Amino acid sequence: MSDKVKIIIDDIEYEVPAGSNLVDMAKWYADNDIPVFCYHPKMEPVGMCRMCLVEQGSIVKDRETGEVVLDENGNPQVRWFPKLQTACTQIVHDGMVIRTNTEAVKAARENVVEFLLTSHPLDCPICDKGGECPLQNLTMAHGPGTSRMNYDDKMHLDKHVPLGDLIFLDEERCIQCARCIRFQDEIVGDDVLAFHERGRKLQIITNSDPGFDTYFSGNTTDICPVGALTTADFRFGARPWELTEVPSICPHDAAGSNISLSVRLDRDFGGRAMIKRVMPRQNEYVNEIWISDKTRFGHHFTRSEDRLKKPMIKKGGVLTEATWDEAIRFVVDALKAADGSVAAIAGSSTPNEDLWTLRKLVEGLGGGLLGAWTPTHAGADLVAQVGVGKGTNLGDLGQGDAVLIIATDLEEEVPIWRLRLKQAADRGAYLVVANARKTRMDDFASDTVRYDYGQAAHAMQNLDAAIAKKLKEANNLIIVAGAEGLTLDGSRALMQAAANFLIESGHIGKPNNGLLSPFPGANGMGLHYMGFSPEATLQIMQNPPKLLIVNQAELLADDPFAAEWLNKVETIISLNLFPDAVSNMAAAALPIQSFAERDGTFTNGERRVQRFYMAQGPMGEALPAWQVFSQLSEALGQGHAKLSAAAVMKEITENVEAFAGMRYKELARVERQFPDVGGEDLYYGGTAYQNKGGLGVQIETSADKGEAVSVGEVKLPDSPKPKKGQVLVVPVAQLFNRQSTFKPSVLVHPRVPQPYVEINSKDAARMNIKTGDLVEVMMADQIRVTVQAHVNGGAPEGAAVLPRYLTDEATPMVLTVGEIKKV
Amino acid sequence: MNIIFREKDIPNIREFDVYVKHDGYKAFEKALRMKPIDVINEVKASNLRGRGGAGFPTGVKWSFIPQSEPIKYVVVNADESETGTFKDRQIMENNPHQLIEGALIAAWAIQATAVYIYLRGEFWDIAHALDKHIEDARQAGYVGENIKGSGWSCEVYTHLGAGAYICGEESALLNSLEGKLGQPRVRPPFPAQKGGGLYSEPTVVNNVETLANVPFIIMNGADEYKKIGTEQSTGTKIFCVSGHVNNPGNFEFPMGEITFRQLIFDHAGGIPDGKQIKAILPSGGSGPIVPATDEILDTPLTYEDLQKHGTILGSASIIILDETVDITWAASKMTKFFKHESCGKCTPCREGTYWLDKVLDRILRGEGKPSDVDLINNIAANMQGVTLCALGDFAANPILATIKHFPNDFMAHVGGELKAAGD
Repeated sequence: MSDKVKIIIDDIEYEVPAGSNLVDMAKWYADNDIPVFCYHPKMEPVGMCRMCLVEQGSIVKDRETGEVVLDENGNPQVRWFPKLQTACTQIVHDGMVIRTNTEAVKAARENVVEFLLTSHPLDCPICDKGGECPLQNLTMAHGPGTSRMNYDDKMHLDKHVPLGDLIFLDEERCIQCARCIRFQDEIVGDDVLAFHERGRKLQIITNSDPGFDTYFSGNTTDICPVGALTTADFRFGARPWELTEVPSICPHDAAGSNISLSVRLDRDFGGRAMIKRVMPRQNEYVNEIWISDKTRFGHHFTRSEDRLKKPMIKKGGVLTEATWDEAIRFVVDALKAADGSVAAIAGSSTPNEDLWTLRKLVEGLGGGLLGAWTPTHAGADLVAQVGVGKGTNLGDLGQGDAVLIIATDLEEEVPIWRLRLKQAADRGAYLVVANARKTRMDDFASDTVRYDYGQAAHAMQNLDAAIAKKLKEANNLIIVAGAEGLTLDGSRALMQAAANFLIESGHIGKPNNGLLSPFPGANGMGLHYMGFSPEATLQIMQNPPKLLIVNQAELLADDPFAAEWLNKVETIISLNLFPDAVSNMAAAALPIQSFAERDGTFTNGERRVQRFYMAQGPMGEALPAWQVFSQLSEALGQGHAKLSAAAVMKEITENVEAFAGMRYKELARVERQFPDVGGEDLYYGGTAYQNKGGLGVQIETSADKGEAVSVGEVKLPDSPKPKKGQVLVVPVAQLFNRQSTFKPSVLVHPRVPQPYVEINSKDAARMNIKTGDLVEVMMADQIRVTVQAHVNGGAPEGAAVLPRYLTDEATPMVLTVGEIKKV
Repeated sequence: MNIIFREKDIPNIREFDVYVKHDGYKAFEKALRMKPIDVINEVKASNLRGRGGAGFPTGVKWSFIPQSEPIKYVVVNADESETGTFKDRQIMENNPHQLIEGALIAAWAIQATAVYIYLRGEFWDIAHALDKHIEDARQAGYVGENIKGSGWSCEVYTHLGAGAYICGEESALLNSLEGKLGQPRVRPPFPAQKGGGLYSEPTVVNNVETLANVPFIIMNGADEYKKIGTEQSTGTKIFCVSGHVNNPGNFEFPMGEITFRQLIFDHAGGIPDGKQIKAILPSGGSGPIVPATDEILDTPLTYEDLQKHGTILGSASIIILDETVDITWAASKMTKFFKHESCGKCTPCREGTYWLDKVLDRILRGEGKPSDVDLINNIAANMQGVTLCALGDFAANPILATIKHFPNDFMAHVGGELKAAGD
């Protein structure tokens, strides 16, 4: 892209990168909005809507001398195409000349708009897209003022066609631009949409069962240039002009997708500000303009009636409602009574500010263990050392680069990474996917590697020579290492092995190189930087303290063995969004605010610290957890409580080296991003929002700073060995599940699978089990769940794959030996 | 003179043995002894033009193929979907080996790895028969591995479409052949270029009749071929005559040798029931209609002569309309065809055909106004020159040309002022 060419747009010359698209260049360099419907800057042009017609020519050069031929006035002679050309299908070249403001171009635009409107229902007053509709806007800008089409001649079609459970199609509004079809095909690789019929009968259909079967369906509603595609969540919910946009960050996974919460004061929420929809917010480093359906539709938990709304303290052995003053006094007394035997466990979606104030509270009491929950993914310290270099953009990976994905199912764990790495493979990156079983990412891989469950680190150290060579010799290499099928020790060994590989091949300390890990939750890396570790959690489990503070961590829902050691804790102080099994055991259960109700920051898997802003009215008397910890500290005489999240962050910047320079003001910085999507220019990229909340700041790795890195000795752990008749039961991630922060999104329920276990066909045959049979899975001699069997080759022989958070009962967090019996 | 319809002179030439006995595959064997580039140059020199409708010089098309690419294809367009065209069917039914031989010569010329014959779905029986003929050629060593010891291998396959006019358009045809939705592709890249052809490989797409001309050219040389026809329209052309004639059918003549009048009255038996001829569609529904004036009737049938009269020879699917035909009705019929066949990809064609049909229906119901005629004329004009493929232009022709030549047929429906004849 470094080569430049000169093009002339409306008589002005511009120097633009060779090989780029004319529509993009006209917009970026000339601020010339060539109108488009079908073209989208993230997809290949198809030239079908014909809205972008321009006059196009080339400067005439003498064939022999190569000199520019001049006309009688001494101006370069231009050879014009006889017909108008679609700008979207043009790659810029030296000497390209276009005109966008002539009568012929104006007429062509007017004609295309007129044609589009002939069959369009013009039901803008009741259309969800009204107010933010490219067709509406381009009609105002370029269309004829009146229609020559008889209203009775309009074609009438179905207006409420469910393409799936989440997306509805209004066939009348569709203008057949194929953006949705192309998005699913080109960008996602789930080509579940297609055109049916032809001519004016051309319609979007879904060809999957269930319909529109993909984790990215919501994005099609953003790029739809009309109101044809709407979400089941937002349709008929509000008008766009009533909404206030609040920048936020997806609380569900390590991608840290930038989102915009569209809120309005709503009757359904007692007149308070309420999230009406979740929209993508452009951050080309993180999620570009895409979000997963979990990000988009997983906001209902913030307003769930099941939320904990009032502080509860134990009085006479019974949890009883209290005022915050009472609760604070109660907890302070308990903390004092613990005699310094205090520890804390924080969940992986706990914001940085809460983690910091919690740490300060514990340290103020003389110090104690700070555990990260869930204790399944090790190696955050290694990511801090040799993680992907500062400035990394997965969107830059392509030809000559390589990616190794090992021991993770990214589709289920971090769908945005899966989406972006799939596209890296499309651009020519060498993609290797290693796992004990086939995962979705295999479909996009150049090579796949299989190993036995528990042997990931071993596999990492003993890669096939040809594969290892290609990885080592790649210009850029990223390793994404997860923890599927591993114990915490196994996870550490894998992370170490991966780090060693990167160090040995020199792929650290620079952008687009290094280690990534799909830590659960939105702030897995934040836990590390604030001093919380899974290893500390294991110590807490082995040596329970007198008093344990549990913040946003549903220990008993996540781990069936937790009750054993939790019972040994004298006093549990629980802070959570929901009353759960832990708060039932607690001496005090304190209601805290979700990400939507407060300011805060998360540190994503790429170590980017990103701000989210207060958007929604609070539930009951819930407070941000940092405020609770801060008040407790003050009550304990540890100094004044902080009054704002920004003040907490200021303190973090002064105390945590990695966060130096991360004041809120810095995190809120934005820059012009290419392509220029968002803002008012809906026609171009869709309704993804312009980033006004900040692009965040990426923490430098030790390698970035040129510091020495230390990986430590790799200890390959023993993995559990099943005996005859037993299987390894492997917990795996399932994106759509029944976790407390997703279950309240009722509209997704039809898409959440019934609890199931995947069994290898050989094992199934031996046990006489068929797909659909109910089976009992017994784990570690004591945990039993009854689920449906899926016999489909999804599990390797000797292993049973049990997706997490589908059953009502807690199942083990890591692999165990178990047995399966037909019920 | 029959270069193509040799079955008229040689019964059963469809059979491999008979074809071979009458010099069949000799041209191919001769070509195999020539350098591929010389084959291309010979076809170039013959000035053979594509018989599918566009009339593009065949040899030039072949010369666009980059020789450096290892995989290349020849695709035979046997979709024969233009209204009123039924010549390719007759070739494939009665003289199939000449097509196969022509396709193999083309394949040799561009060093293709395979030939795909894309037939419209209704031609399933022809496809079955072609499969047998291809097998006969294979048994004789003309198809398959190491053809006639040349060291070059080429397969020939037939493929059935699923019934869409648009799949006669070469890029839509390629999509359909790949199993995709039959919609035209953005060009460039053109089919001959890397990235533009079948499975993105450089591809020559030729009409059946075009390729059936090739053996003659190679066998007898370009000079001999150029003696037939006119300078710009070399060779013979098959004219498919249908509509109001006593003797409809295919007629092969050297181009320029006869006029419309001779074709219609001397060979197609004239107009039934002593009626007068009113109009001619020289290229089915897609070419502009012309009134059957003496000037038109005496026009020699060549690419260049028809162009002078604002119409095209196209695939020479000549439909004759007699005096009983209401041209407004004819325009409506043609519009309904294009509305049905528009693939829907480009806005002007998809929406324009639908809109035109609605207004024409209104006019034919007697509910139209004089301004409606202006409206459809304007809609059609707005569809021209702004679509990915030529269907947008084709769909406008039935309106623009009928209104231009037969305004009174429209005015009679809308109560407008009749115009003097010849206006």
